Amino acid sequence: MLRQKISIRAIVPVAATLTGFVVVCCLLLYTVIKGDLNRYTIRHSTDLTATVVKATHYAMLKDDRDSLMNTINSIGEQQEVEHVRIFNKQGLIMFSGTASEVGTLVDKVDAGCIGCHAGSQPATRLGPMDQARQYANSAGDEIMAITAPIYNEAACSNSCHAHDASQKILGTLDVGLSMAPLQATLGLLRNRMMIFCLLILFLSVGATVGLLHRNVLLPICQLSAYSDDVVNGNNKPPVFEATEEVQQIARNFCHLADQRDRMRRELDILQPVVGKLPDAETDHS
Amino acid sequence: MSSSSAPDRDENVADAQASLQAEIRRYETRAIAGLWLLALFLGLSLAAYGGFPLFPSLPENVRAALGASPPTGLISLALVVYSFSAIILLLARQGSEPSLRGGFAHLGYLTGFYLFYQYGGQLTDNFLAVFASGLTILGLYSYQTWSFFSAQAKETSERLALARRRQSFFSDEVGTRHPLDTDERLP
Repeated sequence: MLRQKISIRAIVPVAATLTGFVVVCCLLLYTVIKGDLNRYTIRHSTDLTATVVKATHYAMLKDDRDSLMNTINSIGEQQEVEHVRIFNKQGLIMFSGTASEVGTLVDKVDAGCIGCHAGSQPATRLGPMDQARQYANSAGDEIMAITAPIYNEAACSNSCHAHDASQKILGTLDVGLSMAPLQATLGLLRNRMMIFCLLILFLSVGATVGLLHRNVLLPICQLSAYSDDVVNGNNKPPVFEATEEVQQIARNFCHLADQRDRMRRELDILQPVVGKLPDAETDHS
Repeated sequence: MSSSSAPDRDENVADAQASLQAEIRRYETRAIAGLWLLALFLGLSLAAYGGFPLFPSLPENVRAALGASPPTGLISLALVVYSFSAIILLLARQGSEPSLRGGFAHLGYLTGFYLFYQYGGQLTDNFLAVFASGLTILGLYSYQTWSFFSAQAKETSERLALARRRQSFFSDEVGTRHPLDTDERLP
């Protein structure tokens, strides 16, 4: 039967396990790389946001609203920037890359805001990784938004548009970046890993099957055919190529068959002689 | 050599054949035990898909009592080590009798991985890895179970067939050797 064949019993489990293990390792590797890329993107975006805050710092200090608006508009025109806005502590949008947003209130229960505003007191200090949040916008696009609080500094509270020194946060810069480039990179990585995985699979399964076939299965099939020949009385010496052990088994078969034939020949010779001998019982009597 | 009377002997033959048939049924049932485990794992995976959405999330006090989850990297490393060792052990034991307890142990380990990833909030990203690992390990276990017990069932069927042939051959003869009074086994 099929399941009893040595080729099936040897190859199926090995091929299946090789495939499974390579797939598991590739999936875990992809997840790890995805996590690393995600962290790198968040860190990069956080640095970018910090750069924007520093670049606009002087304009804010001098209360140069035109210059600030111009900078925000220029950033908002970038293709990968979904939104860029600065809102004050009350959530009123003061500057935005989208002109219609200016003067409106941000929704604190919005997917991008609820992270910090879930509790009774909003979080005021966030680590670099906590400043990032991922959500899908109304168009269904994946967005990574970074918030950078604009902290009250001594220079701010001492300048002409002085803020109260006790006020910790003056406002928040919120930049939303499209995750499409990251998704595209991950898609490319996924496809390449799949190709790599398939190549590894073909190579490892092919090599295992080939080696098993060449060194184990084929010699055993030849040995089986040779033993059939020997059983049928064809005692030619083994001529097939195989490993030393299989060849030794074949030579032993051949040796046993030769011994069997020699005994048969001797029996053929002895039988007439034994037949001519006087009966032992007669002799005794 | 049987010294019993003919009706007793026929009864013994019938008992022995019934015992062989029961043995075949037991082997056939155990041959598909691996498939049941695989089905159980598929059901579990279905429940785990998307982070156990049908189950309530862990209460905050329980989560606080349990503490922080292990790093995801360590869970993934444990998954790789577990998959590797399980596959090696299963391959090494091909051809020998698989234990049902071993199959349930694998199911338990895989459930543990699902739960650990879920607790760490990383199940969505790592679901496929656990699923592929489970499919490979339990698939191999099912193949081993099916292969071993099917061979046993086939061997027992041949013994039964031989016993029936002997019974029909010897049925008319009196005082001959009983068909099942032998230790002879088919190769």
